[in-house]
Amino acid sequence: MKKVEVIIRPAKLEEVKEALGRFGFHGMTVSQVLGAGLQKGRTGLYRGNKYDINLLPKIKLELVIQDNLVDDVIQLITQTARTGEVGDGKIFIYTVDNAVRVRTGESGDEAI
Amino acid sequence: MKQALGKLGIKGMTVTDVLGCGLQHGHREIYRGTEFINLLPKVKVEVVVQETLVDQVLDTITTVARTGEVGDGKIFIYPVETAVRIRTGESGDAAI
Repeated sequence: MKKVEVIIRPAKLEEVKEALGRFGFHGMTVSQVLGAGLQKGRTGLYRGNKYDINLLPKIKLELVIQDNLVDDVIQLITQTARTGEVGDGKIFIYTVDNAVRVRTGESGDEAI
Repeated sequence: MKQALGKLGIKGMTVTDVLGCGLQHGHREIYRGTEFINLLPKVKVEVVVQETLVDQVLDTITTVARTGEVGDGKIFIYPVETAVRIRTGESGDAAI
């Protein structure tokens, strides 16, 4: 079981959700986050003073899936979310010890 | 849930407002003639605990959070390499 954590541009959320849905992935958690990376935020002007806006709004998606599906999901997400510009985002893969479905108490692969 | 975890001795947690979908499939809507799947508001609770407490925590959470309806939620267990308390620099079990 692996957790795929994806940081993407907010504008790409609908497309990525749809692509994942078509592939059969309906379970995911979405959060609004602020992020910084190579894009280094940008410089703003307020009352004549320059200041650094270092964090940009991003969307974080979290999916927990079986190990053998990870490569397919990575490909799907990169194809859908990529624009080629700095700021496209990142994908992180984490190991998951277990998962439990609260409604039924099922655990393991049946829970995801 | 906060109270139930507190009774187990767990007072540290991080809570985030998130949007999610699973078997509940979000909420199908038609907007301007196009169907799309919406995401439902959920709450994510994160706790870092000693391994010996994991089963108790699972029991407590499922008992408190269960309604029996689709949409009750999920629990994920991840391994944690280490933890550090920023105020003191302590790490390991003393930090959680």
